[in-house]
Amino acid sequence: MQQVSIAVDIFIQQILNGLSIASVITLIAIGVTLIFGLTGIINFAHGEFLMIGGIVTWLAVSAGVGFPIAVILSILAVGLMGYVLERGLFRFTLERPTNGFIVSLGLIVVLQHVVVLFWNPNQKSIPRPLTTVWEVGGVRIASVRVMVILITIAVVALSFRMITASRYGRALRASVEDRDTAALMGIPVRRYITGVFVLGSALAGLGGALLIALFPITPFTGGTMVMKGFAVALIGGLGNIYGAVAAGLILGIVEGFSAGYGFSQWTDAYSFVLMILVLVVRPHGLFGGTSGPRMAS
Amino acid sequence: MNDSRRAGLKPLRSLLPVLVILALIAAVPLFSPSNRFLSLAISAGINVIALYGLSVLFGQTGILSMGHAALVGIGAYAAAILARDFGVGFWLALPAAAIASAVFAMIVGIPSLRVGGHHFVIMTFAFGQLLAIVLTNGGDYTGAATGLDVTDHVTLFGADMTDLTRYYLMVVAFVTVAAVASWAIIHSSYGRTLRAIRENEKLAASLGINVGRHKIGAFVVSGVFAGISGVLLAYFLGHISPSQFSSFPSIYLALMVMIGGARLIEGPLAGGILVAFLPEVLNLDPVQSRIVYGVCLIAVIMLLPDGLIGGIVRALRGLFSGKPKSERDAAEARQ
Repeated sequence: MQQVSIAVDIFIQQILNGLSIASVITLIAIGVTLIFGLTGIINFAHGEFLMIGGIVTWLAVSAGVGFPIAVILSILAVGLMGYVLERGLFRFTLERPTNGFIVSLGLIVVLQHVVVLFWNPNQKSIPRPLTTVWEVGGVRIASVRVMVILITIAVVALSFRMITASRYGRALRASVEDRDTAALMGIPVRRYITGVFVLGSALAGLGGALLIALFPITPFTGGTMVMKGFAVALIGGLGNIYGAVAAGLILGIVEGFSAGYGFSQWTDAYSFVLMILVLVVRPHGLFGGTSGPRMAS
Repeated sequence: MNDSRRAGLKPLRSLLPVLVILALIAAVPLFSPSNRFLSLAISAGINVIALYGLSVLFGQTGILSMGHAALVGIGAYAAAILARDFGVGFWLALPAAAIASAVFAMIVGIPSLRVGGHHFVIMTFAFGQLLAIVLTNGGDYTGAATGLDVTDHVTLFGADMTDLTRYYLMVVAFVTVAAVASWAIIHSSYGRTLRAIRENEKLAASLGINVGRHKIGAFVVSGVFAGISGVLLAYFLGHISPSQFSSFPSIYLALMVMIGGARLIEGPLAGGILVAFLPEVLNLDPVQSRIVYGVCLIAVIMLLPDGLIGGIVRALRGLFSGKPKSERDAAEARQ
């Protein structure tokens, strides 16, 4: 009996760990999937947006600001960065999304090394904003992980509500479905594209703030995280937000298990293998997605 | 335009500038350059060989791979493992590694190109990351995170090529072969088929071109270039490790080919040399030079979609031929 209860403890703890990481990944995946759905741009630099969010939080907390304020600051900062980059760069690549993708590659390199230049390449961490560890029937639950999961659920629920229930959300979904027709219906698609960039970036900023609450980050954290974000977005079907959330859950649980049951060195490989398998069997993802906006050419 | 002239003279004329430049590059050791210069030039040359493969894939076929460094890595590890386990030397490792990289490209290419379009680039990225993870977790066989040593010397007709100047000349020779091979592909009917796929996949398919097979073919060809570049890299550095072949090096390779321009034969050469020597010329540290590369890439994509060389060629043509711009564009589109 003792053996079994320990196994259950570890099981629950690993699921919780997996879910807290999956929360951060889901936050990236939503931004990635929305931006792709509307513009066809594969924005690889989204992981760097997340990393910048973490750095902003780190700077704010190091300067003595409380964690909640730091989170809001990083959401605002990264949202603003998304706005500037969309207006300054990505706007000009809408006709050729491949160029948008290449621009994002350049941005990865620039953003990473600007951070290294100013704040060195070492790991950065903040003291855990919540240090309480609850013991429920022998299961140790770190409250910080629960916080990350709850914030993500709240934000994702709010985004869903906005996207499904408001008329802006309906217009957004119409634009993702068919950009040209939506434009003909009088939807200011260009403005929605800017809006989606800002929303996606703000979610990445939040993700970065939550990530640094869980783990130390480096200027190069973005690379792995964005790949997982893309894996989740592709598994769920690019352009499909529900799919991204569902796939995020699946990945979180798979990663949690693998870390808990002795294959931790392969953890990073699971998302890629899962993604490749899903795409080979179902090229449009498990839950179906768009293949990006139809191009004029 | 006179078609027979285009078919006969024009291709050779397009190869000539590259050969002249390479001949000049081969003459550099006469000016007794520093060892540092030679090492930089050798790394640049090894990259250029891989870039010629990438230019066939991206420039001609229009497929962007984010896993090119992984193909280089397969070549490098193939060379290192062959040397360690089977005592196979440099010259036999070349074809073996080229085949290994080509086979790996096919294994990656078949599922990746099946899902096509937007997903391909992400699939190649994922395979690149996977390879790095597999090499890191490969235990003693792949040397784990520390990698493998390659201690064999390269000999040619009994001469030891390990000396920097000799290795430099050998790499220049390989770059020349790569440039000529890439030129031959561009001007063959195969190259025209690939460009047809690049310009309009559906139209190409309706003309009876097997689009899927040719795309995989182009990926395999890029793998051959990458494999050879990997062998040269392994023997030059004497030590290889997984992080050299993960997705970030792939991003840098893509960056080089796009800064130089992927469609013209001078492009990979210019991109590789520029990225290697820019920090030296501008006296930048590695971090600053990376920022400069990134800004260059963004600037090139926004302002000169054909790459630096493409932009220069276009500007020169604009200066020397009085033809209106639209006619020039039409002539270029036919290339």
